[in-house]
Amino acid sequence: MIGAIALLLVCQLGGEVIHRLTGLPLPGSVIGMVLLLAWLAFVPRERLTLTQVTGWLTAHLSIMFVPAAVGVMEEGAILSRHGLGIVVAVAVSTLLTLAVTALVFRAVAGREPEPDDSGEGAS
Amino acid sequence: MSGLIATPLLWLAVTLAVFEGADILSRRSGRHPLCHPVLLATPVLIGVLLATKTPYATYAEATQVLGFLLGPAVVGLAVPIWAQRATIRRLAKPLACALLAGAVTAIVSAVGIVWLFGAPAEIIASIAPRATTTPVGMAVASQLGGIPALAAVIVLMSGVIGAMTATPLLSLLKIRDYRARGFAVGVSAHGFGAARAFQVDQTAGAFASLGMALNAVATATILSIVASLI
Repeated sequence: MIGAIALLLVCQLGGEVIHRLTGLPLPGSVIGMVLLLAWLAFVPRERLTLTQVTGWLTAHLSIMFVPAAVGVMEEGAILSRHGLGIVVAVAVSTLLTLAVTALVFRAVAGREPEPDDSGEGAS
Repeated sequence: MSGLIATPLLWLAVTLAVFEGADILSRRSGRHPLCHPVLLATPVLIGVLLATKTPYATYAEATQVLGFLLGPAVVGLAVPIWAQRATIRRLAKPLACALLAGAVTAIVSAVGIVWLFGAPAEIIASIAPRATTTPVGMAVASQLGGIPALAAVIVLMSGVIGAMTATPLLSLLKIRDYRARGFAVGVSAHGFGAARAFQVDQTAGAFASLGMALNAVATATILSIVASLI
């Protein structure tokens, strides 16, 4: 358990260090995610606790950003002036992205051969 | 007595209790997107802060530990991506094309529309990562000079709208492949979309989770590149 938490924190720390040293504009936690992917690829073994810890974190993601969401109480001026534009932009963009992503997936996957489930896909 | 007001104990207890109440209501609603616990808990907590004349800064400092957990949670998104590596390899081409098209569409359309409405730079920076999962959206927005709290609310709105419209919209477009449907709702509406997709179909849910995780990386990367060019 502690090992899994340490691994997450070390990856995030590594991400923050890379972010600061190289000026790479990606957030440190996203760089940390890539570092953890690299770790998973290069150190092959069972990772039951890591899966449990990350599963727990993901399952409770919602409460972690409540304090930040409460911060909109300080943005009243911006929301009353630009709220309409924001709502229209978010609504149109969400629908458009849904349609484009699904249509592109279908257009490209349609030309691919059907997945062969007897092969390596099952691994 | 008044010394308690500044301690993390009071506001953590209040936040967790309000959230738990909101979560019970959300469960009773059958997890309707409009009854998401964050959407219910946030206005209640704002009301409590206003009623007790507590400055947001006091509340934010007391509840820091919750926000801290977002960092390791984002790092942990590597685990579901890794678990789906066989699928990613098998469907590399459609996944990559759909991801790129979706990420670019989300950024360009959201930024373009608020720009047409005359929004200032900090709103444009807050809306650009609207399709990512909330912690990534907040981190990217603050890096671009946006407002993390506004980014959090915008990302939540995307989730609610996407989860509520995905099924009718994709049926209207006659897309029956659950892989395409799931992936699209994950790319456009992150965790909300994935939760909705799992209610419909297991394959759709798995592809929605994948879409959410991959788009967190894709959008953060695209916006970082654009930011470094400007």
